Formats: sequence, structure tokens, C-alpha cells
Amino acid sequence: MYKKMTVLSTFVLVSTFSAWAWATEPVSFNRDVRKILAANCFACHGPDEKTRKGDVRLDSAEAAFAVKEGHAPALVPGDSAASMLIQRVLSADPDERMPPPETGRTLSDREVALLKQWVDEGAQYEKHWSFNPPVQPALPTVSNPLWPRNGLDYFVLEGLDKAGLKPSPEAPKETLIRRAALDLTGLPPAPELVEQFLNDTSAVAYERAVEVLLASPRYGERWARVWLDIARYADTQGYEKDNGRVIWKYRDWVIDALNADLPFDEFTVDQLAGDLLPDATVDQRIATAFHRNTMTNTEGGTDNEEFRSAAVVDRVNTTMSAWMGMTMACAQCHTHKYDPISQKEYFEFYAFLNQTADADIDDESPVMPCPAPDQQAVLDHLSRRQAELDHKMGLVLAQEQEAFTALERELAVMEATAVRSGGWQAIGPIRGDSPEAIYTTAYPFEQDVDPAKTYDGGLKFAARPELDADSTISLFDAGQGAVLYQRLTSTVAQPRTIQLAANGPFRVWLNGTVIYESNEVRRVRGNADVVPVQFNAGDNHLVVKLVNTESRRTALVNLGPLAAPRAIVAAAEKTAADRTAEDTATLESYFKATGAPFTELRAQQAAINEERKSLLATMATVPVLSELPAAQQRQTHIHVRGSFLSPGDAVTAGVPAAFHPFPADAPRNRLGLAQWLVSMDNPLTARVAVNRHWEKFWGTGIVETSEDFGIQGSPPVNQALLDWMAVEFMQHGWSMKELCRMIVTSAAYRQSAAVTPALREVDPYNRLFSRGPRFRLEAEAVRDQALAASGLLSTKMHGPSVMPAQPEGVWQVVYSGAAWETPANEDRHRRGIYTYWRRTSPYPSMVTFDAPSREICTVRRIATNTPLQALVTLNDPVYVEAAQALARRVIGARPESAAAAIHQIVRAVLARNATDIELKELGLLYENAKAHFEERPEDALAMATDPVGPLPEGISPEEAAAWTVVCNAVFNLDETLTRT
Amino acid sequence: MDPKFDHMNGLTRRHFLGTTMGVGAIAWAALNGVAQAATPANPLATRPSHFAGKAKRVIYLHMAGSPPPMDLFDYKPKLNEFNGKLCPDEMMEKERFAFIKGHPKILGSPHSFKQYGQSGTYLSNLLPHLSTMTDEMTFIRSMYTEQFNHAPAQLLLHTGSARLGRPSMGSWATYGLGVENQDLPGFVVMVSGDKTPDAGKSVWGSGFLPTIHQGVQCRSKGEPVLYVSDPKGMDRDLRRRSLDAINRINEAQYESMGDPETLTRISQYELAFRMQVSVPEVMDISKESPETLAWYGATPGESSFANNCLLARRLVEQNVRFVQLFDWGWDTHGTGPSDDIVTQLPKKCGLTDRPITALLRDLQQRGLLEETLVVWSGEFGRTAMNEERDGSKFLGRDHNPNAFTIWMAGGGVKRGFNYGATDDFGYRVAENPVHVHDLQASILHLLGMDHLHLTFPFQGRDFRLTDVHGNVVHDILA
Repeated sequence: MYKKMTVLSTFVLVSTFSAWAWATEPVSFNRDVRKILAANCFACHGPDEKTRKGDVRLDSAEAAFAVKEGHAPALVPGDSAASMLIQRVLSADPDERMPPPETGRTLSDREVALLKQWVDEGAQYEKHWSFNPPVQPALPTVSNPLWPRNGLDYFVLEGLDKAGLKPSPEAPKETLIRRAALDLTGLPPAPELVEQFLNDTSAVAYERAVEVLLASPRYGERWARVWLDIARYADTQGYEKDNGRVIWKYRDWVIDALNADLPFDEFTVDQLAGDLLPDATVDQRIATAFHRNTMTNTEGGTDNEEFRSAAVVDRVNTTMSAWMGMTMACAQCHTHKYDPISQKEYFEFYAFLNQTADADIDDESPVMPCPAPDQQAVLDHLSRRQAELDHKMGLVLAQEQEAFTALERELAVMEATAVRSGGWQAIGPIRGDSPEAIYTTAYPFEQDVDPAKTYDGGLKFAARPELDADSTISLFDAGQGAVLYQRLTSTVAQPRTIQLAANGPFRVWLNGTVIYESNEVRRVRGNADVVPVQFNAGDNHLVVKLVNTESRRTALVNLGPLAAPRAIVAAAEKTAADRTAEDTATLESYFKATGAPFTELRAQQAAINEERKSLLATMATVPVLSELPAAQQRQTHIHVRGSFLSPGDAVTAGVPAAFHPFPADAPRNRLGLAQWLVSMDNPLTARVAVNRHWEKFWGTGIVETSEDFGIQGSPPVNQALLDWMAVEFMQHGWSMKELCRMIVTSAAYRQSAAVTPALREVDPYNRLFSRGPRFRLEAEAVRDQALAASGLLSTKMHGPSVMPAQPEGVWQVVYSGAAWETPANEDRHRRGIYTYWRRTSPYPSMVTFDAPSREICTVRRIATNTPLQALVTLNDPVYVEAAQALARRVIGARPESAAAAIHQIVRAVLARNATDIELKELGLLYENAKAHFEERPEDALAMATDPVGPLPEGISPEEAAAWTVVCNAVFNLDETLTRT
Repeated sequence: MDPKFDHMNGLTRRHFLGTTMGVGAIAWAALNGVAQAATPANPLATRPSHFAGKAKRVIYLHMAGSPPPMDLFDYKPKLNEFNGKLCPDEMMEKERFAFIKGHPKILGSPHSFKQYGQSGTYLSNLLPHLSTMTDEMTFIRSMYTEQFNHAPAQLLLHTGSARLGRPSMGSWATYGLGVENQDLPGFVVMVSGDKTPDAGKSVWGSGFLPTIHQGVQCRSKGEPVLYVSDPKGMDRDLRRRSLDAINRINEAQYESMGDPETLTRISQYELAFRMQVSVPEVMDISKESPETLAWYGATPGESSFANNCLLARRLVEQNVRFVQLFDWGWDTHGTGPSDDIVTQLPKKCGLTDRPITALLRDLQQRGLLEETLVVWSGEFGRTAMNEERDGSKFLGRDHNPNAFTIWMAGGGVKRGFNYGATDDFGYRVAENPVHVHDLQASILHLLGMDHLHLTFPFQGRDFRLTDVHGNVVHDILA
């Protein structure tokens, strides 16, 4: 009911103001028809064959025109009367009529008329507008060629001309500078900049001011906010425990990249695949934390694979949403009902992102250390020491040629007795009634080991190459067990020793006989048991059963040296003449690592390694993407109905067929995917980026649904404008600063935001850009502005997130002991971008102003206007403190009159002098407040000092309190909370 | 225009503008020759329901951590018969446990059961007060969920999805029906037991719905709503004067800029000013009679579940749409006396039995129960087996998503009614299973809303509280 009412009221409006667009022109599939079909028909007659009814498909011309047995074609071009679609929508029989009554949908007379006209005009299908690449249109002829200041203005004016509107006059200079400063830097303009701009009478005064703003480091901080919503950046892991996460290096990377105007294509590639670039820099690897902002679940008993695949799903949805404005989420479970993305294609896309090493592990591995400058200095020093050591190693090697030759002989002897490993395989976890039961039960796969066999219950040995690479394992949870197996091929029959350890009971078989048991609970590192074994010549079969009684779950299964590595033996077996430089280097490094002459130098090497390790332990870290080695890459399957537990057909990495082809020369991995996204052939990436920028300057995008450019999204209100800018953006090297510059220096942007009755009637939502944009400030800017105007704002950049004051009792943590500790220093007054972001309990005043929780990608914040917001800016101690600080500054400047003081306050906040009504009302408020406080000295003291601190000498509490009340009022003006 | 697209436009624009009227209404008024509205409408204005609902308001009592049904409501003599014996193998098949390891043993209930009321409903001796109300209540003994960890299970129960980011039931209620008392938030949340729920504030979040629909956490200690108190040193009179100045300057701003958002802001500041009085007033229980306070076991100025129950009554009395109480401390694993079923469970029952009963009686006596739906639940059930974590000698039960009991009263549900049943061990549902999505569909139904048609477009889909599931449990409706 409620929904219907909304539909009706907006219907009247929208149809009225767009009436000019369709009355006289032929019907267009993209403009008029697709949305009718999409809303009413595609759910049953669209791309998803599983839900398609009656074998009728209306989203493709071929299918709709096809002559099928038993019924008329859905569409007969040029003949609406013969077209089943038209017959059925017009049918009076409720059993025949489409859409069926149970859908609750009905077509209006106008919609039916449009469909009919479209069929009669030939039923021309068109590709969805956003799937065709943008072509830069020529600048149109406009009514007033003097108005445009750059290309985009021609398209705005063309739209106004069509609607019979004239552009609004330019906004006053004071308004312009505040508008541009808030948009570009998220802060009010500095007083010096305002003064300079107001006094600059040259024709390029505004452009000059814009350059100052674009060059300010505050620019990167403000625009990082926008990107961090998309990147779902937060300082905690999410889910139940929502423990802390150290990932602020990524936030700093975004700020710096924006300040450096890193081109959007590089910005894209670095974040999606920086690690895969040749010679990837530390910064490029930090950038890959973009996709490590997914949530990590550290609750007991959860399946890491479940939440790893949830993270990959989130990466798929976020990638498509952020770059291409496509909503993929529904295709996770079934073929998209509207957009041309099948479930298979969803998982082909998923396959690109399914090959990283992270796996919902509590410690967030893999993480990368990021040295601070002083730490880098120590690292550099260590590198110099390393170089010296390498030099000495070289000297020793030169002196020890005799021993080196001896090594070759030793290697030959070792090779004669070598034992070679077939690699670890494992069955597990084994669940039993108790750890003891697992230990004592004789399982078939420990008696009769056959890696090729499938045991009862579908159990099979699986290769675990990571156990060969890293000797500690995490195969199973407490109370479970596992059986490991490997084949060892010995050159001769011989006695040897192997090393093994586990933190619970384990038992070892060789060739079917138990040769060792241990039931000791211990730390495994450095505590390995040395087990004597007798190898047969040829194949030997080593089986180890491990049972985990503790919550810790490690075992050491590195058997120790059984043979020299193949490469070394191969090099040693060649004659000196046959050896390549590589062979020699291999042998030399083996000699250095094992030879007696290097004992002393090896100790030095260990010391350097240890120093480096302990330094790394103190460094800031950042979780990064790291591609699995080819041998460990995962096979991607379709998840039947979206469940990771129901793998369907296997798929390989690929992009949806509806879009441009994957670049022929690009690798089939994340790097190729990133290149595909920023390919000039991509119809969406540039449009989506331009539209998102436009939205931040105008409150609403040219495509209102900036998160959805698909068939269900809203169409662009001025496609020529969008396409012209998108092509400009790409041609100007994807420069985001250039894009911002283009928008803010346009005549359209400079218009006054005042609404006249004519504008209200023809362009009520400013969708024609007939006036300047006016909308509420975003959460961070509301607070940053108050701090900046009062002089409290710290401009300190970068570093760990900070915890500014928030009310007690907001921060309640069930599991970890983490506390919200507000520092006493400038960190309490940092910009909002640096505020600690806990997903399950974000900073309360920001949430009140519509900041998201950052659990998932948010492309667009929807601004609300609520009483709780008023309570924040009126009463939150942060705002009271800002008012107190501003009051003190004003009093400290010794204004000659109350009016002068009011001008000063309004200038600090709004970058302009006070109006007459402000002088009158605020003057009266000051008088009243002063009289009020003179009678209440205690209240005066509280109002003047709590929480900002004791008054400086020479300022009376009544005076300070009264001006605090005035400043508090100015912070709450509609104009203050709005960028106008 | 595509009606769905219109709808989305309408919504986003309305919320972008923050008002159902805003530019739209003014333009509509202009088109229809109607004089401009002097005050813009409130985005929370009362809206008609899909059909006549019996409940106007909801009080949801959530026992966070999840109490063991078989020690309170779900009488299972067989548990005691098999107490201490290894559980049958089939109880472990296809189960994942949070903490139980190896082969667990059946745990009988240390508490006794009796039948009460004309309905002959079984209740344990831990609920002496509630036992007098069974003929007013509907018990559903066949609830189930898929989630066996607290946070996902709480999210599934309150938002319809185990993942974060969806709107909660109370948000859907105010989104669908609006708010009746414009001086108070429409969706109020109170927490007791010293801890917020595991899933944090997301269980009363508004997800992708406009933030105006999120639950407002009220506290019985400290500021009842964040920032509701004026700064120190400012009194009501001075606040009034400063609002007058703000409003008059804002009116001038509207005159020159013509942005209807400015008018909305003026009215929201007025509402905030009224809330500064109405919220502390409704949250102040000191004016309740000593008898009432004693009846609930409430103490003014403290933070307790009893206080929250009394506040819940005061809030629904003021027509607040959705009141949600979370009480922590029911996660009775049996790792020690502070979380077992012998010491901790009776303690929690002692703290809640009286106030809940007082709440039901109080609502009944004031004629509010008929239109107020009271729901009591945990987020899942608990195992029929003793957890014995690390060999603990204290008795406790692990998480069990397969079966649990909830009850409802008032607001259009049957009186003295028992629905559904579990197996002999209270471990799995044996008859008339009710999924949490079915519960959600039923609660919306009682409020007069069809869960299939209460939707919001987001990420290319029409989302609903019940996702793509849920059936109204018609058998429990009066």
C-alpha cells in the first residue's frame, strides 16, 4: 500500500517533467521499452532459463521473433496485432492476460501504448545503453555560446535549452570558494585562501583558488573517504568477535595515491593485482590490501573455507560494483534475472579471485611488513652488513677451492645413499569418540596404505605439498586426528634417522611395522624426536598418525636431511667444463650453507637474520594479496544455489560474454582482469568513475543509481554529458584531479543553488543541472568542519587509526579486552578519515550522519535528515568543545563590537560575513545568553570550559559562555550543515 | 515509467531529501494547484498496513546466549532416564558442535516440571511467576535455525540473514508502518547483562534502509539516548532561545535558497527539542508507584533487565512501535558456576521471571496486551548432551540450532496454546517445524504486513526481511 502510494506520487512528477522527451519522437527500446519489459516480463521471460515460462523469451530479438510450434511469435516486427506479447497484455481474459495477476504487476495504458508503437515501428532491439562503449559526441549547438566554460557545459546547456530553461546566475564568490573547498578538501576554505580569492579580481581568480585546493594534501584525505566506503575499509575484522585488524597502511596508500593523482587505471591495477606486476614495489603490494578488507571470522568451530569463499564472493561483488557498476550478487545463486550474467559466468569471474593465499586465517596471513623511515634505515644498515658478509663469503670461497672440490666428492657419496621423498599425502581430519579412541583404533588407511584407493566413507589420501614446503601443519582441530603418508625411495638398504614431532600423541609405521610412538604434549619447534629407521633399497612406506588433544594443532613433519637436493647433485655430477654459471652458483651456495670453512660467517649470517626478524616483528604490517603457486591453485566450481558446500561444474577464469573480450595479450589472472577493467574498450569503467565523481559534486549522479548501471538501474539523465566526460577522462590519462578540475571549473558547477518557482516546477530534483548543487555534508565533513573552524583540527596525516572522544558505554566488547582509549594529544582532533572504524560499533556520531558500517562495499551513502543528527551537533561534547574553542579565538581577537564578533564567527564557519538577520538573531542570542549566565556563574563556567579546559586569563566565563552558545548555534545552521 | 524504478527513485530521492514531501510534495502541490504545505511531512509518518493487523506494537525479549529449552519449557522425561549415558550415534550424525568433543553423554534436567493452567502447559520450577500466565501464551516448541554460533544466529533471527548488513525486524517495522508517536523514536533497544549482543549493533541496524529506521539504543543509566542532554551549563530556556535563533536564520535561508530540506531541518530540530524532554521523561521510572516498582523488581537509576521491562511497558504505552530487549548471560555451557544450568540458569531466571510476568500482567491490566505482541526467545537451542568442555564437572549444554522453544503473548496470537514438538530428547524438531524466517513472516503478519511485499530495492534486488523464505504460521494466530 505504502509502496503503491510512493509510486503514484512520483509517477505524476517524473512523467510530467520528462514529457517533452517522448511525446514527439519514435519509441526507443532503451529509453522507453526495456524498463517496461524488465520490470514486468523478464523475471519469467528473461535470461534465466531455469525460471523461464512457456519457452517465451523477450530479452533478445532473436528469441522474441522466433516462430515456435503451437503459438504465434512473441513479436512480429511491424505488426502489433499479430504479436503474442501485445495480444496477451491487451487480453481481457484474466487467465490470458500478462503480466499474470498473482505478480501484482499491471501495465498502464501508456506502457501498453508504448509497447504497441514500438512493435509497429519495427520492434527494434537495442543493446542496453551502458553496454555500448561511450563515443565522445560532438559539442552541440547551444542557445548561448558565451555561457559554456568547458565542454561539459555545452551538454548541460543543451539539456536546459530543450527544457526551455536558462542556467542560474553564478553563485557569489564567498559561496563558490566554500563549495569548492568542501567538495575538494572536505574542509571549509582557509581564511587566507578566502581573502586571497576575494581580493583577486583577475579573470582566473577562481581557477587559481581551485589549483590551491587540488594541490592541498587535504584533497587526498577527502577523496579517500569516498574510496574507502567502496573498499569497505575498517580497522576490525568483522563478524562476531570483530577483533582489531592492522590495515591502516592501505588507507594511507589511498590518500597518497589520490594526492599524487595516480591515474585511475594504475590505481585500479595496483589494488587488484599490484603483487603480480613485474618488480612490484612495496606501495603496489600495500595497494592489494583493497581486497583484504573483506571480513575474517575468528569464531570457534567455524569452517575457514566457508568464510574464505564468502570473502571471495564479496571480492567479486565489490569488483564489479566498484568498477563496472554492475550488481553481480544475484548471479551467485542463479543466473541474473535482468542483466546478462549467468551463474557460470559469475564463477568464471570468481575464479580470477579464487587463487590468493589468504584463507580466513585468524592472523590474517599473508601480511606484509611496512618499514617506517627509521626502520628502513636499520634495514639499509643490515643490507650493507649483508653486502660485506657476502663479500667475505666470496673471499673465503676463493681461498677454499680445495675444500670445494672435496664437496663434489662428498655429494657423489651422498647421492649414492640418497633417500628421496615422494611428498606428503594426508587423510583427515579423522573424527572419533575421543582422542584416545582415534589413537587406538586401527584404521584401514594406516594398515593398508594406497594413495589411489578410496576408503570407506569416501576418504582418500590427498597431496599436501605445503607440508613439504613448511614443516608445521594445521590439518585439524582439537579432538581430531590425521594420517600422513609418504613414499621414500632409498638408493640402498641402510640405517638412517628422521625427525618428527607433534603436540599430541603420534605413531609411526615404516613398511607396515610400528617403529615409534610418542605421547608427549609439548611445543614442537626445537623439540623434534630423532627416530632411527632402517630403509629397504627401493620404495619404503612411511605412515604417521597424529592425534590432537589440545587446541594448539601443530606438528613437525620435516624428516630432516635425507639427500642433497636434486639440483645440487645434478650440478655436481657434471664435469667442471660442462657446468653452466648457474650450476656453479648452485654448488657454491650449497657449499656456503654447509661447508666447514663458512662456520664463522654463517653465525654472522644468522645474527643478521635474527636482527632483521626482530625488526620485522615491530613493523606495521598490512594484509596483502598473494597468488598461490601454480601447483597449489584451486579448482573453481560453480556453487550450486550459491552454497560452497555444493560444488557443481568446474569452471576456468573468464569474463562475462556480454562485455568486451578479455585482452588477447593479458594473463588469465588478476592482473589480466585488472587490465580488462581499465581497457579503453570497457564500456563501463570510465562512465562509472565519472558518474561517481559527478555524484560527489552534485549530490546525485547523472545515473542516479551509481551502484547499478545495469538494466534495473536508472538510465542517465544526460547520456551525452556522461559519455563526453567519460571519453575525456580516458583521454586525459585517467587523471582524477583533471576530472575534478573539469567539473568544478565548469559554468554549470558555478551556478547559484537558489531555487526559483520556475525551476521548482520544471526541474524539481535538479536533474537537468539547472542550478548549483545543494546537499547535506557527509558525516566526516560535519565534524571536520567544526574542528577546522574552531582551530582545533590537527592536520597530522597517516598512521594508526585514532580514538577521539565518544560517550562511555558505546564501546562494549564481548570477547577481546580491547578498549576505546582517547588520547590526550592532538590525535583526539584528527580528521574523521583517521577515526578507528569498528564494524560492529562504528563511531556513533558518524553513523547518525549516515556513515555505513563498512561491512560491505558502499558506493553511495543516502543522506537523511533526522532529529538524532540535531542532538549530535547541538550536544555532542566534540561540537561543544569546538564552539568553546571558536568562542575563545573570537574573544582573543578583541572584536570592537558584538557585530564584529558575529562576522568573525560566521566567516570562520561559512567563509562569508554575517547577514543582517544573522547579526540580529545571533546578537540577540548573545545578549540573552550573557544576561542568563551573569545570573548563573556556575553554568557559565561549565558552558565555557567543559570539556575544552580552563579559561585563559582575561576572559570572563560569562563572556566565553555566551559566545559559546552563539558558536554552537552557528554550527547548527542549515547552511553550515549543507554545502550550497 | 517502470514502477519499480519509480519506486526506487521515490525512495532514494525521498531519503536523499529526507522527507516524504520535500520537493516532490511541493511540486505535486504546485501541479495540482494546492497551496504549498507549510510544514514538510515526517519520513516516519504513520502509514497504512497491507491489511488490518492485530498487533500495533512489538516487545521482543531476547535472551542473548540462548537458554536451554529442556530446562525451562520443553519437558523431556527421557533425558533424565538416559542421564549420563553416551548419546545415540544418530545424534552426532551430520552435526558440528561449537565445543563438544568426542562422544558426549545425555544430560538430564536438574530442574523439575509441572503442568500449569487450563492448557496444561509444562514449565520448570525455575519460572514460578510465569507459570501463572501460561493461559495467555502461545509456545512454539519446534523452532529451528541453521546457525550454531551466536552472532550469525542472532543476525539470522533479527535481520533474516546470517551475514552483516541487512535491516533488522524493527527497522522493517518502522519502514513499513511508520511511527505513531512523533516525539519518540519508533524503534527502541535496551540492553542488560553488561554486554551487547555478540553481533553488536547490527542486530538493530537499518542495513540498507535509511538510517532513520535503525534502532535507537536507550539506556536506563547515563544519558537515555546519546547526546539527548544539553551541554553542561545550558538549560531548557537557553536551548529554546538558541533554537529560535537557529530556526529564524534557517527560515531566512529557505526564503533565499528555496530548498525544502531546510524546512525539514527546522522541523527535525523541533522534534529533537521535544525528544530532549519526552525521552528522559519516558525513561524515568522514578515516578512509578512503589508497588509497580516492587512488582517488576525495578530500581530507578540502575541498569537492569527489570528496569528495561518496566521501560518497555512505558514505551509501548507511548505508542513506540518496536521495543527490543537484549539480556546477556544465558550461554550456559557449564564450564563453571557462572555459565552452568545449576547455578547460573536459576540466577538468570530469578532476574527475569518476575519482571517478564509483571510486564505481561501490566500490559494486560492496562488493556495494552491485545495490541502488543510480546515475543520471548534465544537465538538457538542447546544440546541434550552435557558439554563437559575440558572435562568440566559443571553441567551445561552446547549450542544446538536444530530445536528450540520460544513463546509469544498478546497481539493476535492464541491464548494457552502449544505448537510443535521435539523428539524424545528435545534435540531435533519432530513436528510442525518453524524456521526463524517463518517467525519473522508471522510477526510481520501480526503487524498487518505481508512479508512478501515489504521490500526494498538494493544491489539490483528487492530485499525482504525473510530473504527468499518464510511462511506465516497460521496455526498460532488467534
